[in-house]
Amino acid sequence: MKLVGLLFGIAFGFLLALGGLNEYEVIHSMLLLEDFQPYLIMGSAVAVAAPTLWLLERRGFTTPFAGPMNPGRSKVERHHIAGSAIFGSGWAVAGTCPAPALAMTGSGAMLGLVVVGGMFAGLMARDYAETRSGVDLTDLDLGMRSAPKVGAG
Amino acid sequence: MDLLPDRVAWYVVGPLIGLLVAGMFALANKPLGASGAYVQTIAAIRKRASEPWRAWYFAGLLIGAVIASALQGKLQLRTGYELMLDLWSLPTTVIVLAVGGVVMGYGARMAGGCTSGHGLCGTSARSVASFTATATFMSVAIGVTFALHWLTGGRL
Repeated sequence: MKLVGLLFGIAFGFLLALGGLNEYEVIHSMLLLEDFQPYLIMGSAVAVAAPTLWLLERRGFTTPFAGPMNPGRSKVERHHIAGSAIFGSGWAVAGTCPAPALAMTGSGAMLGLVVVGGMFAGLMARDYAETRSGVDLTDLDLGMRSAPKVGAG
Repeated sequence: MDLLPDRVAWYVVGPLIGLLVAGMFALANKPLGASGAYVQTIAAIRKRASEPWRAWYFAGLLIGAVIASALQGKLQLRTGYELMLDLWSLPTTVIVLAVGGVVMGYGARMAGGCTSGHGLCGTSARSVASFTATATFMSVAIGVTFALHWLTGGRL
């Protein structure tokens, strides 16, 4: 699974740089509604992935690593909306999001490291806040729910 | 080297990303989210990662971009924020970007995902929470970007 993770990362990082999504100017123009390529990239990715998943699930596909096909789904809760509003503000200021920030850094843009460092600090700050309040608010498992509370120790 | 164009068309890049998203669900029922990779990378450094493969995914994202930019003939040390540096000094820009990163990390952790986790994977899996999250961060990001544009007199 580690090798799979590495290969998927290489492929995704490669594609982000190929699509120009590793550039601040591209994401900034996207959010200024001047460049629609990034929206088309996201839209066509979902247009390919969604029917593929639907079909695999319908046919009772069994995954090699984790049993029957079952993509996790969640109901909407307040933290999804509040968290996304906070995330969206940071995205607008930094002009890049978590994966493109790494692709940006990989392509030699050194200030990408500042954003990546900030991301780490922000994630740990939220972990710390959740640990202190004693509630685990992250119910959707995007590699997060099952993670130990990294800000706790 | 200049083997690849600067920007490959969306109808090539997008569907290939879609295959990666579907591929990770099909292999292991896992969403290919980037903020989860950050979380697991911190956990891996502390030797308590519950999903160590995500730390490898994190490393892969960097490596993949190195390979692509090398083939595009664009791999060189630069700031990456020339537009912002035309407006502000380097220390100011660093502070702005650090704040942006912290806010992004805090929000992504609270929302349970970011542009890739919710925007690409969750929506592809038809998760209502992901549709809501995506609509929220898209509209807020566009709104805040327009506000920045206005506040900087159109220079950003």
